[in-house]
Amino acid sequence: MYGIPQEMGPVGFDPSIFLLSGYLLGMLVGLISLALVVGLVTLPLFFFVLFLIEQVSRVVAGTTGAFVSKLVLIMFRGLRRSPLRTSLTYLALFVLTTVLVFLYTILTFIGNVTAEKEANFKAIVTHKTVIPSQIKPGYYNQFKDLVLNGLPPDMRPVNGENDIMSWSFVGGSTDPINKRPDNALFMFCMEPQKITTMMDGLDDLTGDEKRIIDDGIEKMLANKQAIVVSQSRLKKLNVRVGQKIKLYGLNYPDMIFEFEIVGSLPDGKYEGVGFMNKDYLDQLLKTMPADYLMQDKALNLIWVRLPNKMAFERLSAMVDDPKNFNSPPIKMETASSGIGSWMEAYKDIFFGMKYILTPAMVGIMCLVIANAISIGVRERRTEMAVLKVLGFQPRHVMALVLGEAVLVGLLAGGMAAFLSWFGIGNLKMQIAFFGAFIVPWQALVYGPALGVGVAFLGSLGPALSAKNVRVAEVFARVA
Amino acid sequence: MPRAIVEVRDLHKSFTRGSETIDVLQGLTLDVGEGEFLALMGPSGSGKTTLLNLIAGLDRPTAGTISVGENVISDMSESELARWRTRHVGFVFQFYYLLPVLTAYENVELPLLLLPLTKEQRRKQVETALDLVGLTNRMDHRPGQLSGGQQQRVGIARAMVTDPTLIVADEPTGDLDTKSADEILRLMEILRAQLNKTIIMVTHDPKAAARAQRILHLEKGQLVLDTAAVGV
Repeated sequence: MYGIPQEMGPVGFDPSIFLLSGYLLGMLVGLISLALVVGLVTLPLFFFVLFLIEQVSRVVAGTTGAFVSKLVLIMFRGLRRSPLRTSLTYLALFVLTTVLVFLYTILTFIGNVTAEKEANFKAIVTHKTVIPSQIKPGYYNQFKDLVLNGLPPDMRPVNGENDIMSWSFVGGSTDPINKRPDNALFMFCMEPQKITTMMDGLDDLTGDEKRIIDDGIEKMLANKQAIVVSQSRLKKLNVRVGQKIKLYGLNYPDMIFEFEIVGSLPDGKYEGVGFMNKDYLDQLLKTMPADYLMQDKALNLIWVRLPNKMAFERLSAMVDDPKNFNSPPIKMETASSGIGSWMEAYKDIFFGMKYILTPAMVGIMCLVIANAISIGVRERRTEMAVLKVLGFQPRHVMALVLGEAVLVGLLAGGMAAFLSWFGIGNLKMQIAFFGAFIVPWQALVYGPALGVGVAFLGSLGPALSAKNVRVAEVFARVA
Repeated sequence: MPRAIVEVRDLHKSFTRGSETIDVLQGLTLDVGEGEFLALMGPSGSGKTTLLNLIAGLDRPTAGTISVGENVISDMSESELARWRTRHVGFVFQFYYLLPVLTAYENVELPLLLLPLTKEQRRKQVETALDLVGLTNRMDHRPGQLSGGQQQRVGIARAMVTDPTLIVADEPTGDLDTKSADEILRLMEILRAQLNKTIIMVTHDPKAAARAQRILHLEKGQLVLDTAAVGV
């Protein structure tokens, strides 16, 4: 990511692609295993829901006496006939839907963060050529001056200086000798008052959450050494709010930060990281020698919120002008394209998830369902023939087979989507520094639809075979 | 013989197995009178079940015509045959073939679902059918909870619930003990005598055949003997 310290990010050839691939593969296997366990645990619930719906359909069939309702009732009864096969079909569809809901969530998340906003969008200023971006701290004031005075008034940020924010990344360890992930702390170093106005993912805070953050900001403004840290990180570091800690710089070698933890972040917001006051970093830099390696690299990036695209294009041209910034040169891009550039490295993985993994999983599950349903159809071939003998049309027989599969698909897809939405939503997982990772509500629609679709496709072949059962042949074989 | 309700003319049926063509029925001609109880006998492979299937509209002949009542069923499409079967034919199978997930009542009701009847009309017909076979006290039982004889009685109730023109039975007593078989045959006699149903029954059992009015012997796809049953 832009500006992530070298110790924490890739330089040149990016080996993290392998790490990420391995991570994703491991996550996929883990997710499938987890979905399998959850599917097994929820099996009784599935049969209970099935039973409840069957009772409703029984009442409907009893009251109306309609042919369709009787047919649906036969479908429900058919599902109870072979609990093992119904369970396996449910499990297969449950696992598939869970995994695909998860993939859909990731892709939606990526789509959202890389989507351009038509107006009021954010732009990022970074080093023109070097990744991770590290630029002179003095550029921040120079850039602010350019935005607030160099741009025509109608193109300036609506909230003036409050719409411009600098970011420096500070990473350190609480142990000067054994610097391990569990005693490390990664922080966004910035002006505290801009945490709530400029940071992504903080525009949906509840009243209590906002009070917690505002309280922390107030303390950070009063005390340069004050920091706020996510609760999960506090727990990992084994420290509490009110404690003072020393942080030994990782990307700021030889620099020792003395912090006072004045607050924590609400659950699911910037999990695993913290915020520190920019003034404190500036103050410490002044105490370091003039040739200290980070003196001219202490600013990682600048954010600005502009009113429209024209303003962005005008300012971008000014930033590109060597008369304004030439040593080092910098560039400005929209936040989404900046994130998009970062994600470019992983595009093959995302492409694979979307166009290879997803269709492959759907295809495999269709085959699994087809196999399970065709066994059922083979076993009940005589029964299908009897229905035809009694006058049921081939389409009725086909509907019975499709209906049973679709009912399981609907329930399995619905339960998988709901449990994913509910479960992952409550886990408040986080990717990088984006907000909490939640399953979009649309998954509650797509999940059941996926279950129904896969069940339908998978059972289509066996249903056609049931439809075409030749009565005389069946009974000739039986006799 | 009373007015013929089933008329079979020069009936041929062939099956192809690999490159071999097997002529199961070879120019068979037959009339079955209205309200007649007919038994079809013959060795295995003689074509009796094939003939039964053709008369019941479960299969289509290779050549020849079959008429049941006013309908030439040999000319009907599969869906026309399905509709025709619902109204005009009742089936009794050797192995009952009741749907195991449905109760006796629901099994008997199945063919009625395809007819334009109200819920009440259906209920009345199902109860009448179950009453006739003496199973009103078992109507909420699943097939697994009934004996073989009781299951076959449900099968008979299902066959007659639509008040069909014709009842066909393929070895209806083949899977039953002597007592149950006797009950089933008695029921079939009642159907014929009291409700004037035309019954065609395939059987290997001479005792069962003796309960019919007429016995047809088939051999190699041809009618070899047409006799009045001894027991009648």
